[in-house]
Amino acid sequence: MAGRRLTFGEAIIEAIRDEMRRDGRVFLLGQDIGPFGGALKSTQGLWEEFGPGRVYDTPISESAMAGVCIGAALEGLRPILDIAFGEFLACAMPQLALHAPAAHWETLGAARVPLTVRTKVGEGPYRGHPQCVEAWFTHVPGLKVVMPATPADAKGLMTAAIRDDDPVLVFEHMFLYHGLREEVPEGPHLVPIGPAAVRRPGRDVTIAATGWMVQRALQVAGQCAAEGIEVEVLDLRTLAPLDVPALLASVGRTGRLVVAHEAWKVGGLGAEVAATVAEQAFGALKAPIVRVGAPHTPVPMHPTLRRAFLPDAERIGAAVRAVLAYSR
Amino acid sequence: MRVIQEPDQALAMHRLMVLSRCLDEICCRESPHWFPSEGEEAVPVGAFYGLGPEDVCAPNYRGAPVVYLMRGVSLEQVWAGILGKRTGFVRGRHYGFTAPVQLRVLPFLAGDLGPLISQATGAAFAQKYRGSDAVTVVSFGDGTSNRGDFHEAVNLGAAWQLPVVYVIQNNQYAISMPIGRATAVKALVDRALGYGIRGVAVDGNDVLSVHAIVAEAVRRARAGLGPTLVEALTYRVRGHFAGDGAPYRPADEAEAWRERDPIRRLEEQLGQAGLLGPKDAQAVWATARAEVEEARRAAQAHPEIQPTDLGLDQLFATPVEGS
Repeated sequence: MAGRRLTFGEAIIEAIRDEMRRDGRVFLLGQDIGPFGGALKSTQGLWEEFGPGRVYDTPISESAMAGVCIGAALEGLRPILDIAFGEFLACAMPQLALHAPAAHWETLGAARVPLTVRTKVGEGPYRGHPQCVEAWFTHVPGLKVVMPATPADAKGLMTAAIRDDDPVLVFEHMFLYHGLREEVPEGPHLVPIGPAAVRRPGRDVTIAATGWMVQRALQVAGQCAAEGIEVEVLDLRTLAPLDVPALLASVGRTGRLVVAHEAWKVGGLGAEVAATVAEQAFGALKAPIVRVGAPHTPVPMHPTLRRAFLPDAERIGAAVRAVLAYSR
Repeated sequence: MRVIQEPDQALAMHRLMVLSRCLDEICCRESPHWFPSEGEEAVPVGAFYGLGPEDVCAPNYRGAPVVYLMRGVSLEQVWAGILGKRTGFVRGRHYGFTAPVQLRVLPFLAGDLGPLISQATGAAFAQKYRGSDAVTVVSFGDGTSNRGDFHEAVNLGAAWQLPVVYVIQNNQYAISMPIGRATAVKALVDRALGYGIRGVAVDGNDVLSVHAIVAEAVRRARAGLGPTLVEALTYRVRGHFAGDGAPYRPADEAEAWRERDPIRRLEEQLGQAGLLGPKDAQAVWATARAEVEEARRAAQAHPEIQPTDLGLDQLFATPVEGS
């Protein structure tokens, strides 16, 4: 159907709905995902269609929820674990950071954990539960981590995650959830886990960004274009494993790299991106790499402090100008 | 005197306990890092004996190899894992005594205890989801029963009436921490009340009792009557690991419990029932020792693990292109 425009949230629900229709082994398990419809309406309509035999409301017990999903996956089911907000992943760390990722490798492939974990992170409408904790998981071998930045990718990456035979974490950004509509393909739509996407080509500087920061990077690219600066925006979208070839190719074209994410800068994904490029494409770099990320404090709650905390277009723009101004 | 209803079962469980003890003796002798199971054999043997191929086993790490034997793994294969041979189930990538998931034994995936209780609950979830009458039995120590994992898992298993049996292998010590100092409850089985499920305490050094109690819990789970919490009281007569002399506890405590050895207990019961005389028992021990030694010798000849077995390309079941 042409002109079918969905929000990010609607696109994700459609992916889950389609996969649950397609495969009886797929089920959804989480808190308040039944008649309540999920935090931010993130599961709306699923309980009504599939009922309590496929959509399981749970007590508050993230560790057991994750463990139950791992055990069910080892027995051949394909669970989708709905952890309402990223910060609650902390309660399930042993299951998600130690057990699930080790299963396939340790058992020489005898065990598989086709588990999808979906969770919401980032700046949102009510400012609550904003912690961007992706880097806790990109550090762990055996996990795949995706962070879609568009409604179409939200559907495509969620579909790929559910069909994948490994544990995949899907980080859904709350600012993107209801904010914009975009054409989303109807029917099966698969965005493979792995490849990054060039959102805007440019020859002067690359901004490698994730989630909401992709939008902000595009905003910066638009501003820069008016000044005659061509910015290439690379949406990493799969954070683990990183699309290193795409990253190197982009830096090969531009020679300059800014990395932007909402998560903390220290020890964040940007550090891995920067180090990888420095190791593998030092010769292509015309300037030092600059990272833009959150400062090193817990995420503040008051709007004034939050604005001071969040990376914005101004900071990303300043980073772009800094790498362009650099001369040896 | 106990009437032995199923003589063949009792004799089979005796043989398994003796095999477990013989294996454990060698492991303790050869490695100070081995986690000894001497004196606790009645719990894994009694709890996991007689389960079907569709049932899922999640045994406590202490004494787990005997459960693998019950699942049909050969002694030689068990040794291959313990000795860290290339033919082991995990090829050196985790503890050598890690379970064969191929036979519906949940593997040890990391070093922390407790997550397995939730995973076993998840296996039971899958059994119920599919509408099968299979069940899951999971055992763990008294120490692990103090973890949040235990609480969350048992609560969820109870809320959803899943076909799972939770067995506490209460050997009274979490490394150096005696259970009496770790909790204010008088008996761990009392916790069942807090989850609204059936709880049964059993003498964990009496394999016939352990088996009868767990088998009843398994029947109830199969019939859709939900989980049972079983507390099997036993004792860790050796240290946490073979090289641990356990100087942190009264010296005479272990000796008193050695007097209640579960294998000798069963031999007395079998003797009184006229099923196993002293000479027969000696023969079982001699045969078991020879089998365990022979299997070890055979496994020692298995190929060694190579640096290339690190398996950098085996991280994922679904490979990611370009990575």
